[in-house]
Amino acid sequence: MNDLIVRDDLSVVTTGSQDYVTIKLDGQSLGIPVLAVHDVLNAQQITKIPRAPAWVSGVLNLRGRIVTAINLRTRLGLPPLEDGKKSMSIVVEHGEEPYSLQIDSVGEVLSLDDQLFERNPVTLDKKWRDVSRGIYRLENELLPILDVDKLLTFDAEGKAA
Amino acid sequence: MDDLLNEFLTETNEAIDVVDVELVKLEQEPNNKEVLDNIFRLVHTIKGTCGFLGLPRLESVAHASENVLGKFRDGDLKVNEHAVTVILESLDQIKEILAGLEATEQEPAGDDTDLIGRLDAIAEGGDGSAPVRKPDVVDGEIIDPGLGRSLKAGEVSLEELEAVFANTPGPEAETVDPEPASAAMSADVSLFDRMGGEDAIAVASHLIGSRLANHKELGTFFGSVPADQRKAKFMGLMLALFKDDIDAAENVGKLLVSEAGFGDDEFDALMKVMTETFTECQVAEEVVNEAIMTFELVREAITASSNEVVPAVADKPGEATGPGAAAPVAGAPTGGPSRATQSIRVSVDLLEDLMNMVSELVLTRNQLLQITREMDNSELAAPLQRLSQCTTELQENVMKTRMQPIGNAWAKLPRVVRDLTVELDKKIELEMVGSDTELDRQVLELIKDPLTHMVRNSADHAIESPAERIALGKTEHGTITLKAYHEGGHIILEIKDDGRGIDAQKLLPKIIEKGLATAAELADMSEGQIQKFIFNPGFSTAEKVTSVSGRGVGMDVVRSNIEKIGGTIDMVSIVGKGSTFKIKIPLTLAIVAGLIVKAKDERYAIPQISVLELVRASANSEHRIENIKDTPVLRLRNRLLPLVYLNEILGLNDDDDDDDDEREKKDDFIVVSQVGPFTFGIVVDRVFDTEEIVVKPLAPILKDIEIFSGNTILGDGSVIMILDPNGIAALTSADASDHEDEEEQEREVKRKAASNTIESVLVFTAGVETPKAVPLGLVARLEEIDVEDVEISDGKYLVQYREQLMPLIFADPSMKMMEKGRQPVLVFTDREYTMGLVVDTIRDIVEDELDIKLASEKPGVVGSAVINGKATEVIDVAHYLGLAFSDWLNSGDTNDATAPTEGAHLLLVDDSDFFRNMLKPVLTVAGYDVVTVNSGAAAIALRDDGHMFDLIVSDIEMPDMDGFELAQNIRSEGIWQDLPLIALSALASARDINRGHEAGFDDYVAKFDKETLLRSLSQQLQIKGTAA
Repeated sequence: MNDLIVRDDLSVVTTGSQDYVTIKLDGQSLGIPVLAVHDVLNAQQITKIPRAPAWVSGVLNLRGRIVTAINLRTRLGLPPLEDGKKSMSIVVEHGEEPYSLQIDSVGEVLSLDDQLFERNPVTLDKKWRDVSRGIYRLENELLPILDVDKLLTFDAEGKAA
Repeated sequence: MDDLLNEFLTETNEAIDVVDVELVKLEQEPNNKEVLDNIFRLVHTIKGTCGFLGLPRLESVAHASENVLGKFRDGDLKVNEHAVTVILESLDQIKEILAGLEATEQEPAGDDTDLIGRLDAIAEGGDGSAPVRKPDVVDGEIIDPGLGRSLKAGEVSLEELEAVFANTPGPEAETVDPEPASAAMSADVSLFDRMGGEDAIAVASHLIGSRLANHKELGTFFGSVPADQRKAKFMGLMLALFKDDIDAAENVGKLLVSEAGFGDDEFDALMKVMTETFTECQVAEEVVNEAIMTFELVREAITASSNEVVPAVADKPGEATGPGAAAPVAGAPTGGPSRATQSIRVSVDLLEDLMNMVSELVLTRNQLLQITREMDNSELAAPLQRLSQCTTELQENVMKTRMQPIGNAWAKLPRVVRDLTVELDKKIELEMVGSDTELDRQVLELIKDPLTHMVRNSADHAIESPAERIALGKTEHGTITLKAYHEGGHIILEIKDDGRGIDAQKLLPKIIEKGLATAAELADMSEGQIQKFIFNPGFSTAEKVTSVSGRGVGMDVVRSNIEKIGGTIDMVSIVGKGSTFKIKIPLTLAIVAGLIVKAKDERYAIPQISVLELVRASANSEHRIENIKDTPVLRLRNRLLPLVYLNEILGLNDDDDDDDDEREKKDDFIVVSQVGPFTFGIVVDRVFDTEEIVVKPLAPILKDIEIFSGNTILGDGSVIMILDPNGIAALTSADASDHEDEEEQEREVKRKAASNTIESVLVFTAGVETPKAVPLGLVARLEEIDVEDVEISDGKYLVQYREQLMPLIFADPSMKMMEKGRQPVLVFTDREYTMGLVVDTIRDIVEDELDIKLASEKPGVVGSAVINGKATEVIDVAHYLGLAFSDWLNSGDTNDATAPTEGAHLLLVDDSDFFRNMLKPVLTVAGYDVVTVNSGAAAIALRDDGHMFDLIVSDIEMPDMDGFELAQNIRSEGIWQDLPLIALSALASARDINRGHEAGFDDYVAKFDKETLLRSLSQQLQIKGTAA
């Protein structure tokens, strides 16, 4: 996958366009690089893990692999999903370990022009700034792009959460 | 074919393939140390294995290559194209020998002198010399194709033999060789023997070879082949034929002619030459005829192969590298089924995939079953049943493909050790314990080589020669013990020898020489730390490099292989006593039996290994959970078992109000677990059955949760967490103390647990407000006695308890018996004595280090300790027992001279828990630093581990090794020889005391005489002090 290169003067080098899967989370759209997505799952049976960080919702069995489920709402400081609604999952990999990101719903795959990309506004919530690569200016809305690796780098975060 | 050989072939072929690739890589990046190390190890392994299997030819080639590689590694030689070429050539040679080995199960005859010579030349630094590549240059070398090696002193080359043969004037006619005569007499002697054995055949093949070169018809077919190869081919062919090995003969036959156009006529001509030659060699006529007949067997093979030869190959007759061409060249189909058909190697990845597929199949099957159950459709039921069965079987078999008992990896070790004993002239026994411990295939493969290396090392370096051993007072036989077992979620492999141990002093110069540490750094290191340097690359303590080991590849290979699978290796070595290597392999890939339990809504698995028993507790049954303040305990066979609620451990009971309700359920299942010496019960909501589970590692995010050791997928497809009893135990102890600085606490707890000083203490009050405490281990039971049952007799309170009269003693003189109701009583039992200690309230059970700060003058009080942040009096049970039974304590009447030597280090050996628990606080408060063990053997083990004490107090009556034996043992050898020894016994007759002195005790004290013991301790330590 082509990485976006941000120059020192904050402008983005145009390298064409990138593909993203959009997801919905508490009304907000977010993008995940399409190549990072391994699977999209409907609601799964999740085994809860006591004493785990709050944003780890449990583990699930994906074709014989044990996948750690991350509650993306909690991770990003959003209120929990209303009762009765089931979340979907996007399976990504980090350090050769599979993780399932619990989200509200999956949108579409968008091919976005690099020229629409912008760095995070400095005023963005820290929880978001840490995991967002930057933001695409879409016609109707703004699309922050999730950095999967940062999202799952948990050391300091795990303790803080 | 021999299993061992078969395995060797498969492995070596694989290794060679790797080396091929790696060598090329090395040529491109000559400075890549990793690649070089890898190559070196592989070649080293090949060489080593050859030695054991008795393959001298292969071993010599590998050895020579290894030499060169060793020089590369040490930087003595630069990697260059020529050297690499020659090494590659040696690999080809090895491959060829291997092919021959596979066909005939014997090393094919052949000569590698030239190759070895060139390798040696390179090793000597002769890399500048012009490369000698063409194998046909070997013409004229002094070799013997029959022997397949260069000639030793005293042996005669064929050329010389022939010369002698030719120059001997005409004895042929007169001299009757005894050989044919005997052959005629005994027809059952094999053709090989009647032909005159190997030597005669060698001579004949040499003659045939040289004659064919100039033969008018056949010269064209054989002239172009180097003389040595020609000889070797005929030699091989004849050996195979005359030994009735038709398969091998056919293989060799196919190689005999490398030119096209060799037909039946030519074959007949060849036979004619052979007949002449044999006759000339004085082989009896009938034998010659028989021999020629056997050649008919390979006529087809020879002629047919000739017709297959394509001119391109014929142009390069030297292609069959080296003179050892009796073996089929690579690619030539061998007769008989190839090894490959009997077993195939499948990559573990593929198995892993298969496993995942099966898991999914199981899931789908379960879903289908669920659906049909609801549909009530009988049509589907039968096929589904069948599908279900197949799936289960498939699952089981796929699982089976991955698991193997460790015995498989050990299977070849006895042979290895046996061969080594012969080679090294030592006497070594190999003991193997726990060979049915199952290991994941992948793990097994990876530890196989390290294990072999280590056993080899032990045999070579550690075990002394029989003479040395006898001189050292050891048995003539050295023993190497291999042990495999599960422990706390790991598989432990122990390799133990009773050899010479690793002398740290001998390592020092090497460490400094290798620049691994400076002399100053080493000075600060403990012996153990220095010994661990053997795990560094290039480290060998052997004084000379032997073909067995000593190149220093051993331990670092071992370590890197073990670390590759996430394991650790540790070692303890005592000079003169031997070494123990402990390999710890994580269970992540292994299958264990797990007990499935339920807490709240989720299921969890507890490894069966740490489960001692299951107890069902209910309010009405014998087993009932009781609370001491908020601490739940269970009476279990005269012991109090501390309990933890799984729900609480898991933090599932957030609501404090619910807590009690939760606990007061009628039925509770208690999983009694043991972690090290600590036994506790885990209260769960439900117990299902045991299942074989495949442990999968936790995601990194969850690694910090210490109560889980992994997770697993159950048969029904659900994921469950595996509980780690170690973690639960640690957590429980941590919870008991303050939450501040938890990590520090944790470490503290672990350290304490390791040094075994943490104790459960029962805290209660009696009379005064100050809490009192007693080690929980001393308390046999907690009882509540109805005041009305208490009787008074002889001015003492008594109660009928378990059909006996139990005296009741007040824990504090200011106490009074309650007017009515139930009085809490602590019951102490020692042998036949049972006593009740009347207290006011039982407060708590605390896990803490019983650190008695202040000694007490007050009778019945050992001293004061801080427990739960409060000053607490620790009571002296012995005092109360003395009050209850005057004969219990033979009290001494003198009170002087008991001042201890400050902080002296004592070892207390006693088999009675009660006594140890009682005496330890007494001694501790007297200022001694006390370590207790429960048997003589444990004491000796401590000594052998190098622990040092100032004084030893030992009981006399103990099972297995009694005090007298222990004393004799201590006096006879080891580091404790000069320590003061005090015997402590109920047997205190004059005869016993004399016997004690004879056994080596310095003093003999009656068992319950605390004062005398303290006095004796002080005296003995003073004597020791003066002596020193």
